[in-house]
Amino acid sequence: MTNSDAITHDVIIVGAGLAGSWAAMIAAEQGVRDVAVLSKLHPLRSHSGAAQGGIAAALNNVRPVAGTGPRGPLEQIPEGEEPVDSPELHMFDTIKGSDWLGDQDAIEILVNDAIDVIYQYEHMGCVFSRTPDGRIAQRRFGGHSAPRANFAADWTGHVLLHTIHEQALKHGVKFYSEWYVMDVIIEDNIVRGVVAINILTGEVHLLRAKAVMFATGGYGRAFKITSNAFANTGDGVAIAYDAGAPLMDMEFVQFHPTGLYRHGILMSEACRGEGGYLLNKDGERFMEKYAPDKMELAPRDLVSRSEQREIDEGRGVMEDGQAIWLDLRHLGREKIMERLPQVRELAIDFAGVDPIEEPVPIQPTAHYSMGGIPTDNNGQVIADAQGTPIVGFYAAGEVACVSVHGANRLGTNSLLEASVFGRRAGYAIAEFIKNGAKLHPVTGDPAERNRRMIQEMLDNPGKELVEDIAQELKATMTANCGIFRDDEKLKRALKDVRELQERFKHARVMDKSRRFNTDLLAALETKHLLTFSEVIVTGALNRTESRGAHARTDYPKRDDENWLKHTLARKGEDGRPELSYKDVTIFWDRFPPQERKY
Amino acid sequence: MANNNRRTVTVRIQRFNPDADAKPHMQEYQVELVQGMTVLDALHEIKTHQDGGVTFRRSCRHAICGSCAMNINGRNTLACKTPLKNEIDKHGRVTIRPLPYLPIIKDLVVDRTTFWEEYLRVKPWLIPPDDIPEKEFRMSPEEVHALNNAETCIMCGACYSSCAVIGLNKKYIGPHALLKAFMRVLDPRDAAPAERLAEVSGADGVYRCHTIFNCIDACPKGLNPTQAIETLRKLAQKRQKYEQARRERQKHLNEPIP
Repeated sequence: MTNSDAITHDVIIVGAGLAGSWAAMIAAEQGVRDVAVLSKLHPLRSHSGAAQGGIAAALNNVRPVAGTGPRGPLEQIPEGEEPVDSPELHMFDTIKGSDWLGDQDAIEILVNDAIDVIYQYEHMGCVFSRTPDGRIAQRRFGGHSAPRANFAADWTGHVLLHTIHEQALKHGVKFYSEWYVMDVIIEDNIVRGVVAINILTGEVHLLRAKAVMFATGGYGRAFKITSNAFANTGDGVAIAYDAGAPLMDMEFVQFHPTGLYRHGILMSEACRGEGGYLLNKDGERFMEKYAPDKMELAPRDLVSRSEQREIDEGRGVMEDGQAIWLDLRHLGREKIMERLPQVRELAIDFAGVDPIEEPVPIQPTAHYSMGGIPTDNNGQVIADAQGTPIVGFYAAGEVACVSVHGANRLGTNSLLEASVFGRRAGYAIAEFIKNGAKLHPVTGDPAERNRRMIQEMLDNPGKELVEDIAQELKATMTANCGIFRDDEKLKRALKDVRELQERFKHARVMDKSRRFNTDLLAALETKHLLTFSEVIVTGALNRTESRGAHARTDYPKRDDENWLKHTLARKGEDGRPELSYKDVTIFWDRFPPQERKY
Repeated sequence: MANNNRRTVTVRIQRFNPDADAKPHMQEYQVELVQGMTVLDALHEIKTHQDGGVTFRRSCRHAICGSCAMNINGRNTLACKTPLKNEIDKHGRVTIRPLPYLPIIKDLVVDRTTFWEEYLRVKPWLIPPDDIPEKEFRMSPEEVHALNNAETCIMCGACYSSCAVIGLNKKYIGPHALLKAFMRVLDPRDAAPAERLAEVSGADGVYRCHTIFNCIDACPKGLNPTQAIETLRKLAQKRQKYEQARRERQKHLNEPIP
């Protein structure tokens, strides 16, 4: 296939979760007629839908009942009474949560746009839970100093995803379901299009566009215990990196404190937001030792580390001592049924435990990717620390790194980030197209190049099973680049990853057919895992401090003097990541770095 | 949760690649039954270690994305939330087929084109009133509760493919899309319930339902499309009055619930 018979669109968005669907909907609404969204899944299967607990915004609908303390009941704020929350407070909490690595200009946008975005969701038909007087219900969440998690029971992501998908359809966005993007074409710092497999036919196509946006989600699948879907293989970060774009802060991976024991499936933070306890084998609420103020509602990095410490020191539960109890029994049947119905069902279905009757065994689970493709505040991908744009290339959501989450994301800020920056990218893309963006020519035949690469994989007679390589990668990433890291472990991880990259050259794809070849896709996904894992480990090895989710036992302190900066990784000529650094945007007069205690 | 009591069990999978096979056939695999294993885990084990050609959809593995609906021992459900041991205990082995009534793309992957067409047909998006408030529309907790039966639908298709009417007539809107229509019709924010009720009470709509309740049995989320269809039938008979009541309600959408 040559340039001329490529599929063309004004805008191609890769990924159909919240960020991608928002951008598509807004671009279409703004008058861009030809917007296409490619997703390797049907859009409604996107992982945004798995988010449970809420989406943050300082709506000031509820407040703590006076005199009941930080864990007491909440009530709706009577009409006309003083607010308890503000974007400013949300901003401070997010900055503190990020351990000062978040860019404060981006965070300011996040918290200000938040309010409007939530109301827009509501106006588009999203079904939120309600206060008695009919406002959107809110609950507490970790690291937030006011109840600002707006929620729909514990299926918030699900209702947001369905709402935004419906709207994208309403605005005439074209969806390519089950198309797998495997390459992005960037020449002379200008994006030209993507190469994708139509999974149904197995055919490889060049798709040209004036603007390309990546909204492909996170990279949690590089870890053994994860809350992430099978699909979260970090394709977007790996593809962008291979195409010459930098990646930022990849070493920051969030471990969520309450993954279901052995499965890693998420037990929403709303469990603790509603008042749930974490207990060790002695029945002790151990968070007293680690975060006496916030207790179970400390930020996720701190809670996960505390759990891991309890486990490592022999106070874990279950036969192997690798779990912690999440105790919801005192919340009572009614509250659990009303506020946490999905969580209850998951515990029953996957652990055989009814949280109304028994505590649930949980453990930290790889959950969220703070790092990703660096962008400006409008989703424009940048090529370097100076902010040089890669023309026409956009990214938002978990695949991107704006950075609003810095070294650790607060719960309910991810649905928010995907929505706010997906929406902003939509406006920016519409502007870009309307200002006369062009379809740029493509050199050579990238579709054919990818076809050949696939054929080589299919023809490879190697003895290695893709799955074995993937499992070994996840094992070393979890053991050596997990919650606690040090120089020795990270060096081992790097050695392992590189060996696995070599072994992957002898990987065999079992299914040789064209049609719906998910065996081939798994191989491509594993290749992506191997690509970006090297970047994670390299960034972690170089960063000789502890900050947020990056905890080094050999460098236990945050080191602002040397490390108050973002890591940028670019693929070097030898194929290895080359690191450089980028300043963090800090409003020194308003939110200077301070000690992070909870 | 322990890994003891291991034993090997039989998993039968219907295979079919239209490019290579004249018709579908069953293929048997043996997997080691590990405690806590789901049917999806078994499929994954087979695919990654025995036969990479075995093809199925899956993603979230916790019953929220709706990818892995299939027919397991004669029942449509999600593979990810079906414990393997239960199926073995009940039936001695597991037989997995694709969702019925839909064209097979490959093995357990079906073509859901008609399913999504019907979803689009009911206009799944909200049609809001003209007057949009600065903040949220006010809805009572009870009004929200009435939508729970529909809002948690994950569009997995288990109901659609168990519906005997769909088996005979692909023009039927189907339980999934009717459930979505129900959600919009009941939402106090929706401004077009009469138009929706007219659509769903047409020739392909709610009167086609034979109330066989297969959809309820199949739904992995415990939802009740039949009841939603019953409600739509009742409302359709008085749709002008219902629309009138909706317009009244919408006069107060911007006011606190008393």
